[in-house]
Amino acid sequence: MSPTSSKYKIGDAVMVADENPSGNPRTPRYIRGKRGVIGAVHGVLENIRDHRGVHNPLYTVKFDVSELSNCHEPDSIWVDVHEEWLREARRDS
Amino acid sequence: MSGKHGHKPFEGHMHDYMAHIQAVEEDLEYYRAKRFEPRIIYLLRRGVVTFYDLLQVRATLKRKDHFFKIGKPQGTNIEARVRYLEEWLDEYVKGIALVSARAVEGMDMVTEDNRKERGDYDDFFKIKKKEHHGALEERMINLERDLTDYHELLEVFVQALIKRGWASRTDLEQRWKQLHEERPWAGGIIVAKAWSDSEFKQALLATGREALREMGVHQGKVGKLVVVENTDRIHNVIVCTLCSCYPYDILGDTPWWYKHESYRSNIVQNPRECIKDMFNLEIPREKELRVWDSTSDVRYFVLPERPAGTENLSEAELAKLVTVDSLIGAGYALEPEQLREREAAHLEAETPRVRPD
Repeated sequence: MSPTSSKYKIGDAVMVADENPSGNPRTPRYIRGKRGVIGAVHGVLENIRDHRGVHNPLYTVKFDVSELSNCHEPDSIWVDVHEEWLREARRDS
Repeated sequence: MSGKHGHKPFEGHMHDYMAHIQAVEEDLEYYRAKRFEPRIIYLLRRGVVTFYDLLQVRATLKRKDHFFKIGKPQGTNIEARVRYLEEWLDEYVKGIALVSARAVEGMDMVTEDNRKERGDYDDFFKIKKKEHHGALEERMINLERDLTDYHELLEVFVQALIKRGWASRTDLEQRWKQLHEERPWAGGIIVAKAWSDSEFKQALLATGREALREMGVHQGKVGKLVVVENTDRIHNVIVCTLCSCYPYDILGDTPWWYKHESYRSNIVQNPRECIKDMFNLEIPREKELRVWDSTSDVRYFVLPERPAGTENLSEAELAKLVTVDSLIGAGYALEPEQLREREAAHLEAETPRVRPD
């Protein structure tokens, strides 16, 4: 079920799904529906102490803090997100 | 929380009893509501242990058969009582580790089950934490009472596991002994080596746990390790907004505030302001601030900047400059002068407890 190769690469613009009932629940609410850029590609990780089975490929997605809250500092939040939560997003749109 | 309680987190040296008590209160509620009770509920739902097992054990348990032995404070002054509460909390935390997944034979329980059960993804399941108010003496008495109650449930629960045949007393005793063999904290050693040996630093940043293996430091098993480097342009900060993910298998316990709701929500809303308010740390405007939010499969820590004036220090001396806060991005590594001031004031370095995993 889980793809073994990662769909996105560093620099790709992505959008996090609003809802994804069957997706990994460890996707924080504050990034749902938000745009970011792939900052790191981790692939499929094994973590048997933590959870059963194998999750989809994992990415670290970079979000501007201004995309997530009404804070306008030039800072960024980097969040680990599994592939099933991500959609391609056009840049600057 | 700094505003609410009037204490900066992690300024909690022994001169500030209230800060110590507050840390015990926060940690105690965290471990009860997030680590222990969800586990009981998980096993209750599955009939592994029932309410009736707990009642029967409680009714017949004799003091001489207790699994946990709690000592007495080494004195009646406040410092001795505070230390006692801290040690008692630590025994409680170890006791919870004792009844973790591997204690129950045939139960395939993983961390993720506990997260679901305690409401990380659904507020419906959240277990309410107690709030603490009042002056120092009142709060210490309340803590003594809470620890008595909480530890009694833990005792009864362990006895019920044994009674139902899910765990043997011999195995539990062996594991209990292991849990008391703490490892030295490796945070300072790792950072000092990275500051001194650029090849090691590159390996650490590129491969995480692999680099630790070569160094002979216990590297743990909980997810991929990513080390992010603070520089004169970038300041990194670590958080787990969903729970409290952290490379604890390498770095031991987190500071209590790392698990606190206010840190976890504020740091991703306005990181610069949060760090200034909570830790009195003003990140220079020219630095970009990056917050790393873990989802458990990757565990992060910060490689702090090497302080000025440390060119001639040995690795052992450098290691003393590394604080827990600096590995999370809530502080800088100490300058040698700051370390001297701390030592002159007899402020002990508070290194986290690192337990076998």
